[in-house]
Amino acid sequence: MRVIETSSTFPLSSVKPLEGLLRYRAYCLSATRNALKGAARRRERSAVSDRHLEPFGDVDGIAYLRCPETGSLFLADLPEPTVWARLLADVSRYRHSSEAFHTGLVQSRTDNVYAPKLEWIQDTLRLQGLEKPRILEAVTAPSHFTRLLQESGAFAEVLTEDEMDLRMGGRASQAEDPVHAAVLLESLDRVDDPAALLRAVTDRLAVGGVVFVTALVASGFDMAVLGLRNLYLYPPDRANCLTVRGLSMLLERSGLTLQEVSTPGVLDVEIVNAHLQRDPSLPLPAFERQLLGADRDTHEAFQAFLQQRGLSSFARIAARKR
Amino acid sequence: MHCLIFGFGYMGKIRYHILRQHPAVHTITIVDPEADCSTVGIEGAVLRPGEPIPWGSCDAAFICTPNNVTADLCVEALRRCGRVFCEKPPGRHWEDFCKIAETAAATPAHTLMFGFNHRLHPSIQAAHALIGNGGLGDILYIKGTYGKSGGLKYRQSWRSHPEIAGGGILLDQGIHMLDLFHLFLWPLTVVDAVLVDTFWGTGLEDNAFVLLRSEQGVPAFLHSSATLWKHAFRLEIGCRNGYLTASGLLSQTGSYGREQLVIGKRQFEDEALALGNPREEIIHFDRDDSWENEVQEFIAAVTAGRPATHGTLEDARRVMQVIRDAYAMTEHAVAGRKD
Repeated sequence: MRVIETSSTFPLSSVKPLEGLLRYRAYCLSATRNALKGAARRRERSAVSDRHLEPFGDVDGIAYLRCPETGSLFLADLPEPTVWARLLADVSRYRHSSEAFHTGLVQSRTDNVYAPKLEWIQDTLRLQGLEKPRILEAVTAPSHFTRLLQESGAFAEVLTEDEMDLRMGGRASQAEDPVHAAVLLESLDRVDDPAALLRAVTDRLAVGGVVFVTALVASGFDMAVLGLRNLYLYPPDRANCLTVRGLSMLLERSGLTLQEVSTPGVLDVEIVNAHLQRDPSLPLPAFERQLLGADRDTHEAFQAFLQQRGLSSFARIAARKR
Repeated sequence: MHCLIFGFGYMGKIRYHILRQHPAVHTITIVDPEADCSTVGIEGAVLRPGEPIPWGSCDAAFICTPNNVTADLCVEALRRCGRVFCEKPPGRHWEDFCKIAETAAATPAHTLMFGFNHRLHPSIQAAHALIGNGGLGDILYIKGTYGKSGGLKYRQSWRSHPEIAGGGILLDQGIHMLDLFHLFLWPLTVVDAVLVDTFWGTGLEDNAFVLLRSEQGVPAFLHSSATLWKHAFRLEIGCRNGYLTASGLLSQTGSYGREQLVIGKRQFEDEALALGNPREEIIHFDRDDSWENEVQEFIAAVTAGRPATHGTLEDARRVMQVIRDAYAMTEHAVAGRKD
């Protein structure tokens, strides 16, 4: 198995500025509350370990539960899958509208978020000896990544399918037409049943095919330090915030062998600092305050350490179907 | 399969433990007069003193002996069994290698493989996948450093006795790096070589500096050392579109450091901020299957009655030619330190 770190750096402001996020976050929380007004069901068991979920706390009044075995976090209540699918489509539309911060950062997000992911996928496929595979992208449309996948010329065919359709077992007829690669960019964070989505994607993969997963993980530095105060933790985008261990278990239980488990995040320290600047009274231990008050070299060295040891909050995993 | 293992030192033990796990292998016989029959895990596997070597039932032989007996055993195993896995180096010198090669040529349908497992290390395989059409383009140069500290018992080891080992650190450890050079650039010829016995005073080189060139004119440089007080493995490959640095080795002791591959992509000149300091990715590896995969390939080749895909006689010939020429350049007279 491999772990990858990167010397690539970019500021938080170029991809997801905290102040810019707040409006989008408020929209997401409001839309989620509306979706939960109908018949909601409480999640009882962890999607990764099957253990009974424990109370953890709430994000602006919306409850989260915790998996006692892996530390993964799960939104406590969920509406019917069709309602959840509509919610994901709604916030995706908003994210791509001129009202959300993302629109003004399209180019820098392409350069710093999507292009490195495409490069990662291409390099991994080379290492796995897979040339020009058919690739399945599971996403709630629209997706900036689709165009990059298509324009790369690295794939025989790019199939973009709705992640909730896949999770609900739709388009089963395509099961006879396997793909050799699949990409889930933070899909497991937002679908209501990540295990079901992964099962559906794995069913579509040929044996030896590779699935690429990215996720924000609860075991990462900024998530672990800030906990529920982390403003980047909100539904529906983070209905599930698994730990690296939880993600690994989920993939392995879905018939996949882990090829790479990395946390090449570059923003953990900056995210905690941004929270601290916004709210200086944040309850942080003295050591963390000392670290955050240190110079840039110290921050960079610490961020590199987080990457090397799998402790950043941005995770990416490549796994091969057994 | 019934496998014979000649020599139960460091390498013999590694091969034994891998063969024990292999589903095609049902019996292993260890041939080593110094092997302790009572050692836990090998009870019943060691050939008793005076017992004849069971060539009649042997399906494959593994030669894991000191260099001075490698060639003769390899020749005998080829003649009697025809399916031979031989640890590196393939003999003490070019003449030893030629004996093996001549016997192989006279043995129809043989399977002969040499132990050059470094090709199968994950960092090397990843580097190989990324060069050329893998995105980094053609190779511009290669530079390799491979060394160890020797250690307290260095002078007492058979590796430090000229008549047993035949060569110093270049033959013992540098041979792996030369094999990697050939993996990426073969064939290579020696441009210049400096071999010195600077510290250990064994009469064998403890440092070798070898400059080589490929047929396409690509230069390669090897520093093989027994006086690197910190164990080191480092292979730098410069390519048209970037560079790779493989370093560290997943060994049993971990003394060569965490195995990793640095991948750097060349930045274009108009990207002023990145010029001279391009973005790098570092792949860390935590699993080395090279020993297992090497044995797996040998057994598969034996079972299918085909030649091995790597570690071939030709691979061995290339590295032994380089070593022969490097020694010849220094006229076998290893220069000592001039105080």
